[in-house]
Amino acid sequence: MATAVPPPTRTEIISLFRSLLRSAREFSDYNIREYTKRRTIDSFRDNKTLSDPSSIAAAFTDGKSQLQVAKRQAVVYSLYAPKVKSIMDIKP
Amino acid sequence: MASKVLAAAVRRSLSPRIPTSIRSLSTAAAAVAEPFDETAGISMKGVKISGRPLYLDMQATSPVDPRVLDAMLPYFVSRYGNPHSRTHLYGWESDEAVEVARAQVANLINASPKEIVFTSGATECNNISVKGVMHFYKEKKKHGVGALYMRRRPRIRVEPQMNGGGQERGIRSGTVPTPLVVGMGAACELAMKEMEYDEKRVTKLKDRMLNGIRDRLDGVVVNGSTESRYAGNLNLSFAYVEGESLLMGLKEVAVSSGSACTSASLEPSYVLRALGVDEDMAHTSIRFGIGRFTTEEEIDKAIELTVNQVEKLREMSPLYEMVKEGIDIKSIQWSQH
Repeated sequence: MATAVPPPTRTEIISLFRSLLRSAREFSDYNIREYTKRRTIDSFRDNKTLSDPSSIAAAFTDGKSQLQVAKRQAVVYSLYAPKVKSIMDIKP
Repeated sequence: MASKVLAAAVRRSLSPRIPTSIRSLSTAAAAVAEPFDETAGISMKGVKISGRPLYLDMQATSPVDPRVLDAMLPYFVSRYGNPHSRTHLYGWESDEAVEVARAQVANLINASPKEIVFTSGATECNNISVKGVMHFYKEKKKHGVGALYMRRRPRIRVEPQMNGGGQERGIRSGTVPTPLVVGMGAACELAMKEMEYDEKRVTKLKDRMLNGIRDRLDGVVVNGSTESRYAGNLNLSFAYVEGESLLMGLKEVAVSSGSACTSASLEPSYVLRALGVDEDMAHTSIRFGIGRFTTEEEIDKAIELTVNQVEKLREMSPLYEMVKEGIDIKSIQWSQH
């Protein structure tokens, strides 16, 4: 097990959580924005009970790669955002 | 001189757009960036709405998941090789990506990658399977790409519907579209990972929608089985309401009546008729499609708009008035014109 990744610290986990929520807010698309927020919160809640260091490390690595996807795609979505917003984003 | 004027004009027409696109990248400014949109709204086919409708037509097509798009984009941008090119890196990397996707699709349905044939969609899959006369399993259609599962043993012989370069073991000739196939593979892998989560959530939203409508309206019938059913599809009939009129009034909700295949005609869906739905009820059907990206707020908004519209139409309906007075509609002898 020489290649085993050390498990992340609590600070690192919280920082990843915050970064994911921040990247969710960057999405111009209403549905993608809400989904990214919801999925982030639900995943972290589900993984709260993880105790095995290697599965914590695996979940953390997965979260980090999801963050990269979210950051890239938030840019792509903003480049092609329709001029007119979703009715869900228009406050009455 | 002329080119200078032109350049200035181009700059002028571009300059107001550049700041908005940059601004929309930062969320803080995005909210105030486009006040113009709020008042203008959209006007299309004589319909005016203030914003883009909420989308509940997932059985027609569904939004691409950003994780899927992220997997596809490299094959549109820089990895554009033909997967059947054998002589260079571009071909090799595309071929590898297609084979990864084939394995991802196979994995989802517990098949061998050798049993997966990529096609252009469900229609083509059905044509190969049915016209080639064989046991078949139709896989999913998605945005111009499809995959057909063909049992390996015992072997099945099919007559190709498309002839050409002999790709996909000659069953479906034509260059395999790498980006689309990569997207399908990524979508299958994601579906496997997210299946439990998505299923739970979509079921919750479906129940919320059905209960929300039934709490406020009578004469609402679910078409098809309530048990053996994909939760993301809620096909409802609203008694004494004409489906097309209801759809017309639901401008802010993107839904279909019956089956998308028949949306060009006013005939009730043959699928509903085959399910044993009465002709009058089949005319009042609306199909709500719920997906991975649907929110509770959208469901609540759809309930509110649907209930209001149904109530409005029923108020105008002489039939509904007669039913309320206790007259049995089915016993009426309508005079012939």
